[in-house]
Amino acid sequence: MIILKKALPRRTFLRGAGAALALPLLDAMIPSLTALADTPANPARLRRLGFVYMPMGCDMTRWNPPGGDTLDDLSPSLSPLEAVKKKIAVISNLELRNAYPGTHATSNSAFLSAATAKRTESTDYHLGTTVDQIAAREIGRDTQLPSLELSMDLLSVVGQCDNGYACVYQNNLSWSSPTTPLPAEAHPRVVFEHLFGEQGGTADRRSALKKRASLLDSVSDELVRLQKTLGPGDRHRVGQYLESVRDVERRIQQAEAAVGENPLPDLDRPTGVPAAYADHARLMFDLQMLALQGDITRVITFQLARETSNRTYPEAGVSEPHHPLTHHGNDPEKIAKVAKINQFHVSLFAGFLKKLEATPEGNGSLLDHVLYLYGSGMGNPNVHDHVNLPIIVAGGAAGNMQGGRHIRHNEATPLANLHLTLLDKVGVKLDSFADSDGKIDELFKPISI
Amino acid sequence: MVHRWIIGLFIAASLAATCAADEQPATPSTAGRIADRESRIVERDSPLFQLAAANDSPDQPDFNRFIESHCLDCHDKTVKKAGLALDELIAADMNRNAEAWEKVVRKLMTRQMPPRETRRPHERDYEAAVSWLESALDKAAAKAPNPGRTETFRRLNRTEYQNTIRDLLRLEVDVASLLPADESSHGFDNVTVADLSPTLLNRYISAAQKISRLAVGAASQEPGGETFRVRPDITQDTHTDGLPIGTRGGTLIPYNFPQEGEYEIQVHLMRDRNEGVEGLHEPHELEVQIDRARVELFTIKPPPKGESDQSVDANLKSRAKVTAGPHKVGVAFLKKPSSLLETARQPLNVHYNYYRHPRIGPAVYEVSIIGPFGATGPGETPSRRRIFICRPTGPGDEDECATRILSNLARQAYRRPVDAEDLRGPLEFYRQGRADGGFEAGIEMALSSLLVKPQFLFRIERDPPGIPPATPYRIEGAELASRLSFFLWSSMPDDELLDLAVRGELSRPEVLEQQVRRMLADDRSRSLVKNFAGQWLYLRNLEAVIPDMRLFPDFDDNLRQAFRQETELFFDSILYEDRSVLDLIKADSTYLNERLARHYGIPHVYGSRFRRVTVDDASHRGGLLRQGSILTVTSYATRTSPVIRGHWILQNLVGTPPPPPPPNVPALEDNSVSSLLSMRERLSQHRANAVCAGCHQQMDPVGFSLENYDAVGRWRTLDAGQPIDAAGGLVDGSEFTGVAGMEQALLNRPELFVRTLTEKLLTFGLGRGVEYYDAPAVRQIMRNARDDKYRFSRLIVGIVNSTPFQMRKSP
Repeated sequence: MIILKKALPRRTFLRGAGAALALPLLDAMIPSLTALADTPANPARLRRLGFVYMPMGCDMTRWNPPGGDTLDDLSPSLSPLEAVKKKIAVISNLELRNAYPGTHATSNSAFLSAATAKRTESTDYHLGTTVDQIAAREIGRDTQLPSLELSMDLLSVVGQCDNGYACVYQNNLSWSSPTTPLPAEAHPRVVFEHLFGEQGGTADRRSALKKRASLLDSVSDELVRLQKTLGPGDRHRVGQYLESVRDVERRIQQAEAAVGENPLPDLDRPTGVPAAYADHARLMFDLQMLALQGDITRVITFQLARETSNRTYPEAGVSEPHHPLTHHGNDPEKIAKVAKINQFHVSLFAGFLKKLEATPEGNGSLLDHVLYLYGSGMGNPNVHDHVNLPIIVAGGAAGNMQGGRHIRHNEATPLANLHLTLLDKVGVKLDSFADSDGKIDELFKPISI
Repeated sequence: MVHRWIIGLFIAASLAATCAADEQPATPSTAGRIADRESRIVERDSPLFQLAAANDSPDQPDFNRFIESHCLDCHDKTVKKAGLALDELIAADMNRNAEAWEKVVRKLMTRQMPPRETRRPHERDYEAAVSWLESALDKAAAKAPNPGRTETFRRLNRTEYQNTIRDLLRLEVDVASLLPADESSHGFDNVTVADLSPTLLNRYISAAQKISRLAVGAASQEPGGETFRVRPDITQDTHTDGLPIGTRGGTLIPYNFPQEGEYEIQVHLMRDRNEGVEGLHEPHELEVQIDRARVELFTIKPPPKGESDQSVDANLKSRAKVTAGPHKVGVAFLKKPSSLLETARQPLNVHYNYYRHPRIGPAVYEVSIIGPFGATGPGETPSRRRIFICRPTGPGDEDECATRILSNLARQAYRRPVDAEDLRGPLEFYRQGRADGGFEAGIEMALSSLLVKPQFLFRIERDPPGIPPATPYRIEGAELASRLSFFLWSSMPDDELLDLAVRGELSRPEVLEQQVRRMLADDRSRSLVKNFAGQWLYLRNLEAVIPDMRLFPDFDDNLRQAFRQETELFFDSILYEDRSVLDLIKADSTYLNERLARHYGIPHVYGSRFRRVTVDDASHRGGLLRQGSILTVTSYATRTSPVIRGHWILQNLVGTPPPPPPPNVPALEDNSVSSLLSMRERLSQHRANAVCAGCHQQMDPVGFSLENYDAVGRWRTLDAGQPIDAAGGLVDGSEFTGVAGMEQALLNRPELFVRTLTEKLLTFGLGRGVEYYDAPAVRQIMRNARDDKYRFSRLIVGIVNSTPFQMRKSP
């Protein structure tokens, strides 16, 4: 039996709309104590990364932007992005060589790791540390949560998932080490409590943090008292405990500061999982926005559905399950339906971007101060390949990312190059990442005509 | 000279068994009564030291000859194989080289040396040599006892924390949702516990707050709730133990209701990947109960054609008034009379998975308990009775009552007497909480501060002030009480034990033994089954074992839990009936329920309840090596692994674990060799390769003897059409066939198994790895137990009386 966290429907759902929730971080509200440069709203630096996974590739003919290097015209699948296209870049001809042999499990697992999954159905699984977690070590240090992992599928599948691969590869986008998958949470209520504690109100959060701080004080008093009565070796040990106390103190202070600097509206805890997929997904996006806005975390991953998902999308007019449809055998009708699902997933992401854009922060919008990667680890699902991946990068204007562009590579280029570029942008300087052979420098250069 | 008698107790105890039988050691009763807390330091001029030194055995020349004729060809100072020059060692002071000599003991005892292909000593000579060497080592150790040094700070691990909260506050908490899992070393998770990472500290603070709120039943509580998810691979067609007869499936949730009031219980049903309710083909009745009394009966119907399943379980909510405190919430389906189910044949015994094992009826996915609505107060709960030992009659005596409550709690939480200084902090928190929300809120605040105190979270053993370095001293009083209770109960000492300890009476051997027996008879010692045996035998790993669904379609969580229960009940019976530990190896009965009996092919066992079943040769069941739990945790998902099984036996039963494989050795690819070959032929690769052979020649034959059991512990005579060859062997060169042969080989040399079990128990009891300097203590424990047929309690009492358990060395 799995016992989940404390939970409760206090009043009603967290209402789906971002507009009702968003309180802008006005310049006047940035406390004089904190230099703007240290906040995530720093106009010149990017300190926040997000990753959204779209399962089972796409129909490329309806994905690729029809124009040249600009996004003046959008393809059918990308059309929901019209309103925010100035803030996005489409990158094509990226590949995941380490995801072969072509499977669903490795599409998911390689997406953020670009690593080869050890073929095993047992507990000796092995992958690689994912890009989000490498970023979190750097930019997640100063927030209440180093990172946040979200998904949409509640049910837990046991045993084999894809042939020969343990389910962990298919279920988990984020891995904090090659052997540590980070389970994602799909239950909005559990996510909410993770972010805000049991009561969401600013006053509640503040008083809870105060209590923690005073308990912590009593721990350190006691340790100091104890230290005096011990021999040198044991005193050293107590010194280590005091280090831990100070680290927790620091996080509590940061959280207290964040409550002050990023006031969130009094929130109601979501009760359950919304019945409709789209409502559920929007709620999960709203929670991401709140987490970013409250500076509770700076690194987020979100899986829109698991690989081989047999979900149906009646909201998008598709009543057949997704996975069988993607094995379309080039049946135009089926391909059209796959594209509909692709467009539907993109529309959910687009809705999120619009809310971010509508939320002012620092010198621009919240969208300007985040960098989101959206895409799939599979190209053409009909043949399970990992080339020509559908990839979008959104936001990042504060970091000089110029949107409205289609970056086309003449040759197949490792997706890891993009990961390396994103890491570089948030201040993690690495020589390489997985199979990368360079960076995608064009992403952050101004357009030169 | 009061001091000397104290140490005399230890030396005497070790000499009693070590020295020749005609020696008259000081009787423990004379030494034991003199308990002076100032006299913990062992003095080296003790007359007993000198006595031991004078007692040189006359048989040394025989031993020297043995070494000369069997060992020096390789292990002299010129060849010095494995860095060992016995000719040099033999000339030197034995105690200075005890570590090397203990290795020699082990190699000779297990007959691993001299190598099998050389001329082997006569069995009689082996025994004489081992015996001489052991007694020489024991004598040398008695001259300078080295009890080793346990960590000064030992954090309560997850299990200990949970049990301590249970005993301190009469509150069952789900510790897995509060604290992260502990690392394990030397096979146990109470060894690496000197750390306190920020993450852990954070979790301890949250846990303390949650627990104190729950225990006090704070009045200001808003509705809260918990969601309990049922494991997805449970077949819910049959009766669940603990629920009323006539129901099937579902789940039973022990839940602590924080306040008196109305609660909502909401049920969700298992869904498939298309979000449809699984197994819903006809109407079913679902019952919600509290403490076996029906709260509501729902009828679940398939939706009209063309409509989604969305609404089927959207309104499975019932409300009930519940009193505060622990209750059992049950959710189950009413069983339908069905002849079809009765005749369901193997292997389609399992119905839990939409694709491969479709459910025949709907199943419970999760249960949420939400409330209280309209709370009417904290009620009378076991926790409150435990905490509020007094009630203020008015504001005037609140402070006095709070002080009483907190001194009582602090004494138990810190596991030692407390003084005014200890209470200062908690009382401050009390006053703070009192000002914010009244008397009970004050107690809650103070309780949460107690639960984050280092004195609560850590067991702390302090060196006596002013002790010289590397000096052994006795563990006394409250510290000894904690050693005892965390060994036998994985929890804090109770009042009786702590009172005796504080009065200094635990130093009296008869009091100590009486306490050990009392504690073993207490239910709390079940932790030795769950916690000690669960780790020693790897039962804990069962939860993570997922046999290949295609090859073993018959495996579900019901079977997994039955495996675990069989071994737990089996171990439990030997412990509580105080039988010989050798009965663990060979037994003529075991514990089964219907699910497990069907798996084993044993007829006439019906129902979900476990009972003792006498087994015969034909059933192939009985001792540990015949139990599904152990056979499964030592297999791969797709096949058996003689290597893992062999390693498991050597590591956990024989005590000769082979070294870890060298780096970069590839796993034996399942497909690299023709699958027409038997496992034995495939594994012969190991032994053909010189790099691998050294260890695999030890492991593989041990594992081969269990090849008649498949990867989920079923008996078989064929593997992939090939007859099973269960010929095996043991490190000492013995050869045999099958599990019965293996068991006999282990029983032929009982000292190997008992020594291994003793070392495991000692590791668990001390919370540190067993080192060479502990070997004399281990031998003494074994010798004492041998005279009483290796009864379980003799091993435990022996450990409690041993030097490493009773003493500690300053740094």
